[in-house]
Amino acid sequence: MTVTRIIQTTRDDHLIAALTALAITIHIAESALPSPLPGIKPGLANVVTLLVLCRYGWRMAAWVSLLRVLVGSILIGTFLSPTFFLSASGALASVLFLGLLHAFSKTFPKWSVGPLGLGIAAAMTHMTGQFLLAYTLFIPHSGILRLFPVLLALSTILGIVSGLLTRAVLARLNDNPALT
Amino acid sequence: MDTQSRSIPLISRGDGVVIGVAVALLLAVFITLWQPEGHGAEAVVYLNGNRWARLNLFQNQDIKVPGPLGISQLQVRDGKIRFVDSPCPTKLCVHAGWLSQGGESATCLPNHVSVQVLGDDPRFDTINF
Repeated sequence: MTVTRIIQTTRDDHLIAALTALAITIHIAESALPSPLPGIKPGLANVVTLLVLCRYGWRMAAWVSLLRVLVGSILIGTFLSPTFFLSASGALASVLFLGLLHAFSKTFPKWSVGPLGLGIAAAMTHMTGQFLLAYTLFIPHSGILRLFPVLLALSTILGIVSGLLTRAVLARLNDNPALT
Repeated sequence: MDTQSRSIPLISRGDGVVIGVAVALLLAVFITLWQPEGHGAEAVVYLNGNRWARLNLFQNQDIKVPGPLGISQLQVRDGKIRFVDSPCPTKLCVHAGWLSQGGESATCLPNHVSVQVLGDDPRFDTINF
């Protein structure tokens, strides 16, 4: 008699898988775009993270974000390369900070942070995380610090864009009763 | 699952706080990291392998260094230094141009003169990716 072990998957697992797949698709499509500066990327895949955070909470958002970086890098071929570590450190920093903001929003509903604020915070912490890694590990030269203000400003703008996109998508999802 | 209100405000109060903090942070970062660096920027001139002079790069001046072949002329301007002329055949030192980053150097081998910009954080010789 053969014993087949079936791993029980929950509805959350399926959701995480589907949403991560979506995020990876965007991640890969985005990686084909030319970038004006190393470290700058539209970060549209992060819209999925924000969306998941707003709809399903932080735990799932963390899964989607980190899985996206891992699987995305394997598919693109940058796994364990500097690009991967930069991406991963940024994602980790932003996921942790989003968790903080999310918890804050839950404790103080009056001051809850919406998609726009989350988008800005996520983009800025992502940039800060990857910049700190780049500075400490790859190019520990003070000259690179001069680049930081520019990168941070650009990331803020891109964060606003992804926040607004998230808000638009959220509004559409909320309007659809089948999805609530 | 979060039960959210159907309409999402464009900017909630929390968003306002985040935006405020973001702007303050950006300003702080620009102010602290974009200051003209290195008021103490200095360069050392070597002659025959010995330290011949130590120059403040923010004190504009022209220096004549008497080497074995003749006079090497150095020029200091606004945090930078360069060889203007040197009695050597190749003028490699002159072509090195302005030096401003810590660790940068130019050398006139025939005339035994070299200049190195001092910095607590010397630049890399090469960077490889």
